[in-house]
Amino acid sequence: MSCVRFLDKPGLFWKTLFLRNNRSGRVLLEARASAPLDRNGMPNSRVKDEQTALSHGERARYHRQLIMPEIGEEGQKKLKAARVCVVGIGGLGSTSAMTLASTGIGYLRLVDKDIVETSNLNRQVIHWTPDLGRDKSASAGEKLSALNPEIRIHAVRMEVTDRNVVEAVGECGLIVDATDNLAVRRVLNRFSVERGIPFIFGGVEGFQGMVTTMVPGRTPCLECLFPAGEDPPQKEIGVPGPMPGLVASIQAVEAVKLLLGVGTCLLGRLLLVRGLDMSMREVAVGRNPRCTVCSAVRRKQ
Amino acid sequence: MSARRFKIIVNGFAETVDEPTSLEKIVEAHGDGDLHAIVEKNGRYVYPQEYATVIVEPGDEIEIVHPDFGG
Repeated sequence: MSCVRFLDKPGLFWKTLFLRNNRSGRVLLEARASAPLDRNGMPNSRVKDEQTALSHGERARYHRQLIMPEIGEEGQKKLKAARVCVVGIGGLGSTSAMTLASTGIGYLRLVDKDIVETSNLNRQVIHWTPDLGRDKSASAGEKLSALNPEIRIHAVRMEVTDRNVVEAVGECGLIVDATDNLAVRRVLNRFSVERGIPFIFGGVEGFQGMVTTMVPGRTPCLECLFPAGEDPPQKEIGVPGPMPGLVASIQAVEAVKLLLGVGTCLLGRLLLVRGLDMSMREVAVGRNPRCTVCSAVRRKQ
Repeated sequence: MSARRFKIIVNGFAETVDEPTSLEKIVEAHGDGDLHAIVEKNGRYVYPQEYATVIVEPGDEIEIVHPDFGG
């Protein structure tokens, strides 16, 4: 049986739950419920106590978050109930996966197709010298299990394509982009828009980086900003050790705020990070009415 | 009679252009062929499909940002 959740109408989050028989494809049960939206455009719902009650160990581990007014016990339970998929466990994914794990995201799915190479080690801080030649997803999974045994981690070695994206992302409710190319980002973006799953885009090059948070129906999607054309051939780019960590930390803060329903996310705001003069600025971006992905989904509805 | 020329700012540097000049021309000249460049005119993001029809005016500030796609 599989469960599907997607966004039906922009501005209003309808949770649609299908219980579907995987073999016959027949829908056994369909339930719909609308939920009020929080300021970041996410359904504002309380989590059920019995699923997420915090143990003594968790209370000690997350103490500095539990004493925060923005998180507290209710927020920590929301994080525990969350399912997040980090795609790409390289420079960006190392830091986003580690910080999301330590923060107490209840389920983390780590997807990468590559193995650890020597030239990764200047910036991909989750992989260490003894990991050379290992699957990146397995290497990261092992570190995160040691970092936080309270959470569930699923390491997946896979090259994400349109055909397997459902399998790659699983039933996660949030995608953190840590990929290194536009082609896979386009696949993830289409999936994000179709399923109404937020997608936190991040990219890094040299001493520069950019981040924006995309909530389908509310913000532009990746295709709005970078309409499909001829994608540049993937080239080897220089990246200094600390830069991916800086950009990925911003992505992880966005993920945590989005899951908690606190603060203001980078919605319709493309954050440009410039490490050389250590400045940041924003570009206000809107939905592209000619977008072939999110406008097409809107038209279908 | 020669066309009127005026100054605009492109990525922080003054540039003299002929009237009329479309944003597309500016992007072609300064975008390094980057099809995915993010273009702002006076702090406002411009959709790629609008480059050809948006005409620059004296004093306009154009920013062309090359996106970062590394991970």
